[in-house]
Amino acid sequence: MAEIAVERLTKRYGETMAVEDLSFTVEAGRVTGFLGPNGSGKSTTLRALLGLIRPTSGRALVMGKPFHELRNPVRSVGASLDAKDVHPGRTGRGHLRTLAAAAGLPDSRVDKVLDMTELTPARDRRVKGYSMGMRQRLALAAALLGDPKILMLDEPANGLDPQGMRWLRDILVALAAEGRAVLISSHVLSEVEQTVDSVVVIGAGRLVMQGTLAELIKGDRRPALVRSPRADELRDLLEQQGATVTIDGRPDSMLVQHASLEQIGTLAADHGIPIFELTHEVATLEDRFLELTGEGGNVR
Amino acid sequence: MRVLKSEWLKLVSVRTTWALLASMILIEGLAAGLLTSLGDVGDLRKRNVATLIIGTHLAIVFMFTLGALLSTNEFRHGTANSTFVVTPKRERVIAAKLAVGLVVGIVGALLYIAVNAGLGLSILSNRGINVDAHDAVNGYVGVGVGLVLGCLFGVALGALLRNQILTVVTGMVIFLLAGTAALFIGNDVGQYFPGESLLALQGTPGADKTLLSQTNGGLVLGGYCLVLGIAGMAVTRRREIT
Repeated sequence: MAEIAVERLTKRYGETMAVEDLSFTVEAGRVTGFLGPNGSGKSTTLRALLGLIRPTSGRALVMGKPFHELRNPVRSVGASLDAKDVHPGRTGRGHLRTLAAAAGLPDSRVDKVLDMTELTPARDRRVKGYSMGMRQRLALAAALLGDPKILMLDEPANGLDPQGMRWLRDILVALAAEGRAVLISSHVLSEVEQTVDSVVVIGAGRLVMQGTLAELIKGDRRPALVRSPRADELRDLLEQQGATVTIDGRPDSMLVQHASLEQIGTLAADHGIPIFELTHEVATLEDRFLELTGEGGNVR
Repeated sequence: MRVLKSEWLKLVSVRTTWALLASMILIEGLAAGLLTSLGDVGDLRKRNVATLIIGTHLAIVFMFTLGALLSTNEFRHGTANSTFVVTPKRERVIAAKLAVGLVVGIVGALLYIAVNAGLGLSILSNRGINVDAHDAVNGYVGVGVGLVLGCLFGVALGALLRNQILTVVTGMVIFLLAGTAALFIGNDVGQYFPGESLLALQGTPGADKTLLSQTNGGLVLGGYCLVLGIAGMAVTRRREIT
């Protein structure tokens, strides 16, 4: 059974369709990236999973149940929706104590998660003095309070510096390795691409793809980049072979589609045309992500 | 009990709570001290208890605000997310806030009475003015109950309205403009308004013909708290936390 199962989830606010017919699953023991541009429905989906909003139709299940039916929600799910969701006048430890008390957890657990998130030196400082990175750590500490089987974190890398990103990556990978299901949302793929094992990509409230990072890249059909001092001559030859050629900014450089690297190289060799560069333009995950979700954002 | 402990920790872990309580004590202490020290002896002989508790309306605003912050801080600072994830049975959270509001209301009322009576009565005594014990007890009971209900009113209204500024402004209008409703609507209806009920509860002298009795004033104000509290729980249970 999947730890998280979203089944044909639809959430409509008046005329606005926030999430439409969305289905995906999240398994234990891996970090799953929940990716999509701002406004694509990620937070709405997480809120539905946490029972904070009611789906218009469909289901959002955690451990096979709607959130409100969980017998011990804190032990099952740890969540952070926004690192800024803290009373600024409370200390970090004070904030965690209010949550621990509601969950029936001892103060020793508060100190433990402060230690895990390396916030112990700042635990008695008021949160208004925390940096964004410290607030992200505090949000993760709050999510870890109940030692939950599932972690749901909305944009946990937001505002982290490179050291913070590495720290987050290490701790999330370690938590998943302990058998937890970890779902982290992001609108910036590069923030999480070294952390996640698999991805759920949504755009405009709908599922775009679910799979591994390799599968995300695999669907890419990028052109070959060819650089030659006799580009015009090679271009004519390639077009005669049925390839599509476009000049790539420089006169000696072109992008070739519908011909493999081997075909291009052989053709050039047969005609004694020197090649300075012959390569597939490497698609970054970011490129692929933008292709899938659209560059124009998802404001509806 | 868990939720109750959590709500208590929320209350005592922010400085605003202590600042509001201290401000209330300071202002009403100043009011009681100055009015009993500087007031005309003749007037004070006639209206000593009423003069003593004249600062109650400002004190009510402080207690109401304290109660309102208990509820609205959750939405003002976004902590409602984690609160309702940890405690999905949201009505329990509102019930716990009301219980904490009751406790802090009693604490505030006792502080008010201790400072007011300690300071005001000793000054009156020094000036040779005797205070009728029955009137004093009656006045302080009304004020104490009023402060407790004012705090509960704030918790309940905050749970219902959610928006901090809207809740506090609504409370100000209700309690600071008390006494004016009857001018526009007439006593038959106006006397049942929350602000007017509070005036009645304090046993405001000279207003016997326009206000409910002290007991009925308390019952009406308590009724408002009950209805608003139940409505706050029902709305919070159904509300989407976005």
